[in-house]
Amino acid sequence: MIKRWLGMPALILISAFATNGIIMLVCGYNPLEAYAAALGGAFGNGRKLGETLVKSTPFLMAGLSVAVAFRCGIWNIGAEGQFLIGALAATWFGTKLAPFFPAIPWIAVPLCLCLAALAGGIWALMPAFLKVTRGVNEVISTIMLNYVAIYLVSFMVDSGPLQEVSQRGPQSDRLVEWVFLPRLFPPHRIHLGIVIAIVLAAILTFILFRTTFGYQLRAVGAGAAAAEAAGISIVQNTLRVFFISGALAGLGGAIELMALTRRLFLNFSPGYGYTAIAVALLAKLHPLVTMAAALLFGALTTGSYAMQRSVGISDKVTLVMQATILLAVLGYGSAKFLKDSTIRKQ
Amino acid sequence: MAENILELCNITKTFGNLIAVDNVDFTLKEGEVHAILGENGAGKSTLMHLIYGLYQPTSGSIRVAGKPKIFKTPRDAIANGIGMVHQHFMLIENLTVAENIALSVVHRRVREGQALALRVKRGSVRDFYPAVREGQALALREPQGGEEHRGTQVREGQALALRTQGFQFKKADAVKTTEALSEKFGLAVDANALVGTLSVGLKQRVEILKALAGDARILILDEPTAVLSPQEVDGFFTILRNLQADNRSILFISHKMNEVLQISDRLTVLRRGKNVYEGDTGELTARELAREMLGEEVREVVREERKPAPEKVLHVSELSVRGSRDELAVADVSLTTHRGEIVGIAGVDGNGQRELAEAIMGLRETSDASTVEILGKAPRGTKATRLLGVGYIPEDRQTLGLIPSFSVAENLELSVLHLKQYGWLLPQKKRKETALRLIDDYDVRPPNPQLDAGALSGGNQQKVVLAREMSPEPELLIAVNPTRGLDISAARYVHQNLLAQRNRGKSVLLISTELDEVLQLADRLYVMTNGKLHEATSHRNDIEALGLLMTGGST
Repeated sequence: MIKRWLGMPALILISAFATNGIIMLVCGYNPLEAYAAALGGAFGNGRKLGETLVKSTPFLMAGLSVAVAFRCGIWNIGAEGQFLIGALAATWFGTKLAPFFPAIPWIAVPLCLCLAALAGGIWALMPAFLKVTRGVNEVISTIMLNYVAIYLVSFMVDSGPLQEVSQRGPQSDRLVEWVFLPRLFPPHRIHLGIVIAIVLAAILTFILFRTTFGYQLRAVGAGAAAAEAAGISIVQNTLRVFFISGALAGLGGAIELMALTRRLFLNFSPGYGYTAIAVALLAKLHPLVTMAAALLFGALTTGSYAMQRSVGISDKVTLVMQATILLAVLGYGSAKFLKDSTIRKQ
Repeated sequence: MAENILELCNITKTFGNLIAVDNVDFTLKEGEVHAILGENGAGKSTLMHLIYGLYQPTSGSIRVAGKPKIFKTPRDAIANGIGMVHQHFMLIENLTVAENIALSVVHRRVREGQALALRVKRGSVRDFYPAVREGQALALREPQGGEEHRGTQVREGQALALRTQGFQFKKADAVKTTEALSEKFGLAVDANALVGTLSVGLKQRVEILKALAGDARILILDEPTAVLSPQEVDGFFTILRNLQADNRSILFISHKMNEVLQISDRLTVLRRGKNVYEGDTGELTARELAREMLGEEVREVVREERKPAPEKVLHVSELSVRGSRDELAVADVSLTTHRGEIVGIAGVDGNGQRELAEAIMGLRETSDASTVEILGKAPRGTKATRLLGVGYIPEDRQTLGLIPSFSVAENLELSVLHLKQYGWLLPQKKRKETALRLIDDYDVRPPNPQLDAGALSGGNQQKVVLAREMSPEPELLIAVNPTRGLDISAARYVHQNLLAQRNRGKSVLLISTELDEVLQLADRLYVMTNGKLHEATSHRNDIEALGLLMTGGST
């Protein structure tokens, strides 16, 4: 069982690292030296490991969003947009509403997180309604809504209502302090959001595999016709999956904002929602395994900084690395999985 | 009439333990229309697939025009002048008629051309044309093997000649070929029309044209009239006559007695894989043929007569349902089941049984006048129906009955009724125990609850569905072909179980294509043909009358 779970990802990683090593070799770098530096940079000491965890969190949140959706037969490519909308809602709350609130983090922070989750979920309900009422393919509608979200954010922070009051740059004001997500060991950046993400991964696993609610979600994803004949509502469960998926991504955006950047700006997300698809597929769409996959992608990010510092390799190599992993995932792992699911859909 | 163009000798085909075709002898004469009659599962399709090279016989031999042949693939069969029109059309919807027909021809030519080019051994395309010329010359040279051999050689020569021009696809040529063919056989169809826009009857013509373009001398038609409207059937018969006039032989499978009697010259009846009758049409009356088809069976399960309780469980009235092709699949059906009663609906596949069951389960839209009441309530939607305590064994276990990627255990609880009993948590211990118990009771093999249901054999998948739907003893059970794919002992277990439920005051609607099953179990009996329900309880001992009802005749 464990062998089955680990075999494929191991194969994927080995081939991706090998391919990348060849690329580095061709470019005149020593790949072993580079990987050693990356490893040290990502896991070398407690502080570095903590930073890797920090970088992993958005991958984990968006990855959970994708994993839940795909697992339930919904091809939500919209995590990117939902992530941004969550951050947008949190920004609005943290800069416009929270100043009128009592300065108590225990009230403001959960409220802000809930609002962001709600915003992400509602954003995801748009393609959901299009799908259940008009049969619009969610792959297309969610991708298109990503652009809507991206431009909505740029409008809001660049001369829009959420731009900083001083109007100096395309960014929002800083959130008020009582909606900051607390850092666990200041001055280190490790924050409460990491804990939230891990707990959510566990809760999601429990919901999907141990409750009748999750059973129904999975049943609709794996065999819609059979689920319907069993009396499980396809429409209801489709809406639920979209909402949950969107809420997770939205929450991810809010966590990133409230814990780290503390203000919204152009290009707030460097494509977390898209990378999350690779994360989720690498994890075989299992929420718990998504933690490991997200950690890997976080480590790639911190590791690439180290490679840049000590070996002088551009951090663009990370992107190449991510791309090779994604290709390897498609090549080995999900090819069979995707094939199975299309057959089932027909 | 003329010589035997096709002879089957002692053909047997087994699938595992199942003997699908049992020592069948069969001959097809040149220029005849030969009908194959038989119940579902009698082995008709298997036999046709053996002729067409989709299956290879376990034993026995096939001769085409007197020469023994073994077809490894349909390609071999086509090369020997055998064409088949399947019940489900193999057409490309967004190409035109001419393109579809040209495609099959071009495809074949390319393959032949490749083979030829290889044969010449030089392998380059430039050498292809000399090779073709060589081939033509060869074909035209004085025949060596007598008259028969000459015929094939000339045909080969023609094919080769065609091939020289056929390498690039010319649309105008394709249209011309199509029009020539359709004129020759009176198969009027617009060569430039997109296939996707054609009616079912016209699509069928295109399929026939495709087979003729491949120069089929023997044409196998698998239930060709099943998809046609009555008007289209008349046109179809004219086509058959034209083909016959061209001395082509036609083998066609049908369930419809009156059509068979009208069009065929000879007919063969299959029952349980055996050829039980072969003779000229008209030798036996429709009633006698029906008897041959259905046989007389030993009834294995004893059903004691009981008076059902007066309480209605299922009450359907004026139910009309449109099928997937927007045809009227169920036409104005009214039906009642009571407590302690099994109501049986017999009939040949595809007469609206599936749509009827799905409509009762709330899975299909019904006409405005339709009402479906269960235990006095009119549930809206499948969930409400299920929660009233209705079990449903669907016809299509692969997509409606099971989720193949879910484990056996998970499939055993796939119903809102089970889920409701669980509450919001899945009780790990209880579900495991239940799964093991049901697997044991219904003898699901292998007995592993964690295995994906998709990995089970068809019969074992069926057992999973049966275990799930029957074990909670539902107030009403809608069972469509419950024993399809089961061996005799498993089927008997299911039959006993159904009777036990009836004796405990539950109600069962048994919809089955197995007449034996319905006769054995049902207290009241209907036959469904063309979406209509015919009361047939009074004919329960008159198997001929039942056969006639099932094949669309009148009693």
